[in-house]
Amino acid sequence: MPTDSQVLAIFADEDQTVAAIEAVKQSPWKLDRVHSPIPSHRILAALEVKKSPVGWVTLIGGIIGFFSGFGLAIYTASVWKLIVWGKPVIAYIPFVIVGFEFTILFSVFGNVLGLLIFGGLPDYKGLKNYDPRCSGEHFGVVAICDQEEQNKVIEFFQNQGGEARVFEELAADS
Amino acid sequence: MNEAAQLTYTEIDQTVLDTLRPPTGAYWLVVMVLILGVLQGAACWVYQIFVGIGAGGQNIPVAWGTYLINFVFWVGIAHSGTLISAILYLFRAGWRNPIARAAETMTIFAVTIAGLFPFIHLGRVWVVYYMLPYPNQRYLWPNFQSPLVFDMVAIGTYLTVSTLFWYTGMLPDLALVRDRATGFRKKVFTVISMGWTGKHEQWRHYTRGYLFFAALATPLVVSVHSVVSWDFALGIVPGWHSTIFAPYFVAGAIHSGLAMVLTLIIPLRKIFHYEKIVTMRILEAVAKTIIFTGLIVGYAYAVEYFLAWYSHNPVELESFRWRALGHYSIEFWIMVVCNSLVPLLFFFKRIRTSIAWLFTISILINIGMWYERFVIIIGGVAHDYIPHAWGLYWPSGIEWGILIGSFSLFFLFFVLFVKHLPSISMTEMKETLDHGGNDAH
Repeated sequence: MPTDSQVLAIFADEDQTVAAIEAVKQSPWKLDRVHSPIPSHRILAALEVKKSPVGWVTLIGGIIGFFSGFGLAIYTASVWKLIVWGKPVIAYIPFVIVGFEFTILFSVFGNVLGLLIFGGLPDYKGLKNYDPRCSGEHFGVVAICDQEEQNKVIEFFQNQGGEARVFEELAADS
Repeated sequence: MNEAAQLTYTEIDQTVLDTLRPPTGAYWLVVMVLILGVLQGAACWVYQIFVGIGAGGQNIPVAWGTYLINFVFWVGIAHSGTLISAILYLFRAGWRNPIARAAETMTIFAVTIAGLFPFIHLGRVWVVYYMLPYPNQRYLWPNFQSPLVFDMVAIGTYLTVSTLFWYTGMLPDLALVRDRATGFRKKVFTVISMGWTGKHEQWRHYTRGYLFFAALATPLVVSVHSVVSWDFALGIVPGWHSTIFAPYFVAGAIHSGLAMVLTLIIPLRKIFHYEKIVTMRILEAVAKTIIFTGLIVGYAYAVEYFLAWYSHNPVELESFRWRALGHYSIEFWIMVVCNSLVPLLFFFKRIRTSIAWLFTISILINIGMWYERFVIIIGGVAHDYIPHAWGLYWPSGIEWGILIGSFSLFFLFFVLFVKHLPSISMTEMKETLDHGGNDAH
């Protein structure tokens, strides 16, 4: 069975990383992922990624929260019909506060859920093919190639100013 | 060029990681003193539970004593954390980055402690679950028209949102600690960093999610202290029943919170050698914001008097006359001087660039803001409509003990935090370098 290799190149700065991303895009090898210690707009732009859909999950959470907050306040007022301060039993104006707080709370739950789902967290398996320097001061660019071309990719990255290392082989169809 | 721009990524990491080294004997001594403070506070509470709520100085007409003062005080302290982490983030104020983590942490601890006070104020704390909306055989539900139930919903939401915001923001830093740690610490940080590797896909969703967090936390922070203010403003009591209470409380909350940020960050900066990260420019920026919030608070004090005069309401007029000249006039003038006049000293560059002055003024504002809540909460009901119903209040020893216990608990949490988790966001500091100090994510 043919196998693929993951070659990680470590770069010292963002400029070199962006240049390496552009170079890999022009190469026959597949750009798998980029690790960085900071959220870099330049790297994301070079990778041409789309806007994250996290906001949609946040919105759904907010809608659920809005109706839950009002629903809870209305339901509890309906089962205990106590007139307070001469106000209607179902008093929408004070219930806005409950509705508002629940909207924010459930929006945040949606936001976190979206972040976990789309960001693939928790991802403890991802630590296997990862260089710890990428959380500190270095950037990592990972390319996938046939095992036979591994040395070519290493040389390619070295020419870009990076320090390359190879991770374990992956089955090509995996 | 900003001072922090002279740093490198490695220097930032090293400076912060150095703070997580095993602590010295002096650290444990401080922890022990704080634990003793907490224990004496807990003992006071236990005593009150056995003896009854009368162990405090509360009486009729002053049924809300220091427990409510402390509640409002700690909720207020919590507010500047969200101001710094969320609102200034949306404004792309780069100076927030070095102090955002400490401020967010302060928020969580302060809200937690604030949340304890309604429990302490309950005589029968074991029936606290009555406040929760759950189906029960009594068909008894919380009254969602009550400002006290608004409080429960708002504070619960604020604590949850602040904690999630704080934890999410810390993920990249937890991964960094994991990657530099060994042994048991590495295992712990591996679990809590959730396998974060800084992949571009993770950053893509993280940056978007963080932005939404900030956008959601901003209206939340305004709503929470508005809701707290309505505990009073919805009561028909002179000095409480005012339409300006929500913005007045929000401004005061941010004012006290910023002062507490200075109180915490100045020793932190000195002890952990953060001078190159938390530069004088950043402390100055906090001081300038304090001038702004101090002016709003001073304006609110003046407007309260104007409203009383303009209303021609004799009860309001008497209430505000008594506030300045009556039994609690010393507390009133401490409030006015510490919150509105002392912060004006920050107009002088020499003062706002002096560590000693910054620290002293921050403490004075904290004292002033505690007395502000004293004046409002006690003063209103102590001297309301009918002279024969007037009454005075002074906290009992039990209440002072619980107050000291709450401060001890707050500082204990903070002291434990700074030695076990990164107290400065390394990721955001690196971004500050990348964006010349004027941008965040």
